[in-house]
Amino acid sequence: MVDLNTVSPKDPAKRYYLALGLEGSANKLGVGIIKHPFLPETGAAAKDNSHDCHVEILANIRDTYVTPPGEGFLPRDTARHHRNWCVRLIKRALLEAGVRDACAELDVICFTRGPGMGAPLHSVALVARTCSLMWQVPLVGVNHCVGHIEMGREITKAKNPVVLYVSGGNTQVIAYSDHRYRIFGETLDVAVGNCLDRFARTLKIPNAPSPGYNIEQLASQCKNKETLVELPYTVKGMDLSMSGILAYIDSLAKDLFRGNKANKVLFDKKTGNTKVTVEDLCYSLQENLFAMLVEITERAMAHVNADQVLIVGGVGSNARLQEMMALMCHDRARGRVHATDERFCIDNGVMIAQAGLLQYRMGNYVKDLSETVVTQKFRTDEVYVSWRN
Amino acid sequence: MSEEITGQVRTYVTDNIPITLISQGAEAVVYTTPIHPYLPIDDSTKGEKYIIKYRPHKRYRHPSIDQALTKHRTVGEARLLSKLSQIEGLQVPKLIACDVYNGCLWLEFLGQDLPQGAGFSNLKNFLWMHAANDPYSNVVRETLLKVGHQIGLLHWNNYTHGDLTSSNIVLVRSQIVDGWEPHLIDFGLGSVSSMVEDKGVDLYVLERAIMSTHSEFADKYNAWIIEGFSNVYKLQGKAGQKKLDELLKRFAEVRMRGRKRTMIG
Repeated sequence: MVDLNTVSPKDPAKRYYLALGLEGSANKLGVGIIKHPFLPETGAAAKDNSHDCHVEILANIRDTYVTPPGEGFLPRDTARHHRNWCVRLIKRALLEAGVRDACAELDVICFTRGPGMGAPLHSVALVARTCSLMWQVPLVGVNHCVGHIEMGREITKAKNPVVLYVSGGNTQVIAYSDHRYRIFGETLDVAVGNCLDRFARTLKIPNAPSPGYNIEQLASQCKNKETLVELPYTVKGMDLSMSGILAYIDSLAKDLFRGNKANKVLFDKKTGNTKVTVEDLCYSLQENLFAMLVEITERAMAHVNADQVLIVGGVGSNARLQEMMALMCHDRARGRVHATDERFCIDNGVMIAQAGLLQYRMGNYVKDLSETVVTQKFRTDEVYVSWRN
Repeated sequence: MSEEITGQVRTYVTDNIPITLISQGAEAVVYTTPIHPYLPIDDSTKGEKYIIKYRPHKRYRHPSIDQALTKHRTVGEARLLSKLSQIEGLQVPKLIACDVYNGCLWLEFLGQDLPQGAGFSNLKNFLWMHAANDPYSNVVRETLLKVGHQIGLLHWNNYTHGDLTSSNIVLVRSQIVDGWEPHLIDFGLGSVSSMVEDKGVDLYVLERAIMSTHSEFADKYNAWIIEGFSNVYKLQGKAGQKKLDELLKRFAEVRMRGRKRTMIG
């Protein structure tokens, strides 16, 4: 039994909670404002309703720091971008949400405490502290991964799914048990999004709207879907490894651009014609990586006997990954796959507000500013999930 | 789903071979059958059971990845099992027949039901059964030392398992003394490898499996397994000790990396 109403709203007459979420752990700066109605079904008599808070999204703004093709984002420049835009975005979000007097109306300010890049995290946390002191509103530090999970659960209403969290910095298969989101399998080296991003850098394709999206588009233009370029398939039990795949396909792409005829995978031995295009490489890379992801998710499902999967994180907006996962779920247990679109998949402020507000409603908020120090290392299973049974 | 797959298997093995589903993993389905593929049925083989392990086609992945993986894994497992059965002291199921293109293996049946209705005799159920009354009893210790011994033999001969969990270790009641003989099963992700990294990952996977299912007693259980494991290496003298130190060092590294890796995103 979980009572989500332990803390009453700031103005009890209003019968709702209002939370501001600030996200800036990587190159996206997100500000979101959400409203939870004060419901009797989430109160003391409720069983486990944290996936169904009747959330109302009042504002969800994001600004992405986009680098030129062939370049990644550096922490220093990303932090500068966040510092430049944070205040403007908050002002716009408050305006959009119709919050005139933040001081009186906001119940809580939530910010990302980690994991992520240090400098961008610091600059956003600084803004959060300032707003908190200025408006006298309590603060909640949120684990980024838990934010993704809670947002996905609220949007899809999936009660207890196996979670596949795939983004630029994380690749984890997570299942909930006993107040923790436990990591069943994860990458042993680079994340799947990072692998795609870095390959996009090698191909020198644009970073806007996102490198992964552009790879997806190229892959869908692949003309020869029957034959794949053979890539290493590196599932290690419940975990996977992707650095080898990246290094190999990078070398293929470089040989392709250089016209290295000695490479028999790319060029015909006799005629010297190219057998493989950039689109083929993108298609093969996606098929290979996603097959690995679906396989470890299936392992976790078999292990915990689940029939639902929730995909979260930036890579989760990839249609091909969602399609493959849906096929697997159907074949496995006539189960369902839950996924969200780019508004909620890709890092945003709303997800931080959602997880943060749940935490706040359980009475767990920052009592002293020393607790707001951000951390680059913050494992998903370090968070005590008090809002679930 | 299992009906569809069972249908697939039925058409493949024909009606002459009755099959009973016993487990459906992520990658393969396992059936028992009373029929031996090439021995005549007579009184001595009556009542025997055999395992058919079938890797079904996965619709979600590209056909060429699927075919390559099915073949690669079935062939790998068959080859590995035949080699492992030649190692003295190592206990694995005997390979009877295989059809790699259809992803089918025919194996010896191992294990039995545990007393008091505790389920099939794999290590997981065995530990659960003992967790209820005496988690640190002598029989648990003996068994876990033997488990470590089996893994030690496997690694010492430069093989790795790839998916070492407590349900992939089956216990068979010993013929000679009162106790259990652990057998390693499911070499679907196994390989020949002399790399300490692979062996370290193997140990780490097992440690985590024990921690997630028997968290209260995991420390001691894991210590016993490692003790049994180390004994195999120590018996090999100086060279063994050297390899053991290297391996355990890497094991610690894998554990650190697995649990505390920095993540960004």
